[in-house]
Amino acid sequence: MNWRHLNNVLHRDIGYLAVGLSLVYGVSGLAVNHKADWNPSYAVTKTVQKIEPVAATERSEIVREVLGKLSILETPRNTFRPNPATLQVFLKERNISVDLPTGTVISEHAQARPVLYEMNQMHLNTPKRLWTIVADAYAVALIVLAITGLFVLKGRLGITGRGAWLTAVGIALPVAYWMGHLYFG
Amino acid sequence: MRRLIATAAAVVLCASLVSAAAVKKYGKPLTIKDTTKISDIYAKPDTFNGKRVKVTGPVVDVCSEKGCWIAIGSDKEFETIRFKVDDGVIVFPMTAKGQNATVEGVVNVTVMSVEEQIAAAKAGASAEMAAMHGGEAGKEMTKEMKEKEAAKMKDAKPFDPKSIKGPKTIIMIKGEGAEVF
Repeated sequence: MNWRHLNNVLHRDIGYLAVGLSLVYGVSGLAVNHKADWNPSYAVTKTVQKIEPVAATERSEIVREVLGKLSILETPRNTFRPNPATLQVFLKERNISVDLPTGTVISEHAQARPVLYEMNQMHLNTPKRLWTIVADAYAVALIVLAITGLFVLKGRLGITGRGAWLTAVGIALPVAYWMGHLYFG
Repeated sequence: MRRLIATAAAVVLCASLVSAAAVKKYGKPLTIKDTTKISDIYAKPDTFNGKRVKVTGPVVDVCSEKGCWIAIGSDKEFETIRFKVDDGVIVFPMTAKGQNATVEGVVNVTVMSVEEQIAAAKAGASAEMAAMHGGEAGKEMTKEMKEKEAAKMKDAKPFDPKSIKGPKTIIMIKGEGAEVF
């Protein structure tokens, strides 16, 4: 077995192993890159409704009146008044904020996006501990893939020919961006 | 086969029940024995500034973008305190909202000048949010965060600089560890 054969075997097999994690990091990367425009991990739905203004003044009475007007039978997990005009009611599946003087009720329901939530958790290494080792191993695997990838082919299409130009472009891209960032901010 | 499916279902159900009832721990383990009332911190901010404390209360808000802070309701009405953690070190899920939390960290008292508050309001951030970002209001705020902040700041539309009467004291806890239950 010569060195190029070993290189190609490594590139092939590590490539197979890295497919799953590459999809996780790739899909999550796209989702997280645009978090300024959407919440990549949670689908948050808000609904607004109106009830009659709340007349009660004491907290427990306010809670009772609000729950009655909204026909909610469930016992809230918590209630809180962040300011004199607002009551927050925390239910099992949704959270409600009531503007007491106007009776405006905002109901918020946050649900983790299936699959994407888990992908983002892995991408951002939220689980820590064992996942840090997996993520480190994947990072090393990517480095090995990049280096072995350079030497898969020989000749005109390899690193001494077309490959050299494409590799140079690939390296120049982040370098040029960073220099532009430094000088033109 | 049926027995296998039934066993698997029972295991999943038990696991769900256990996880639902369990205390979820974040960051460093809690070590402080005595719990400090949030209202006491508000009453004497200078006394608590820089001190490590453990506080407990309902989670009344969660950072929806990065999960990098939670707001904890005080034992006294109309008071909340933000528990801020370094981005990525602890990530609070949005589902923590409405649960109870016991958290531990260092009290940080920031006094924002009138100019800083005006700059924050113009950037679409509350003074509290700006203080959390080291006074650089709006720098790291996403569209959703700005909208949320703007909704909170009812008196900021249209913003009148004269509405800011003087320096504002912002109190928060720089987070180290938390338990949500």
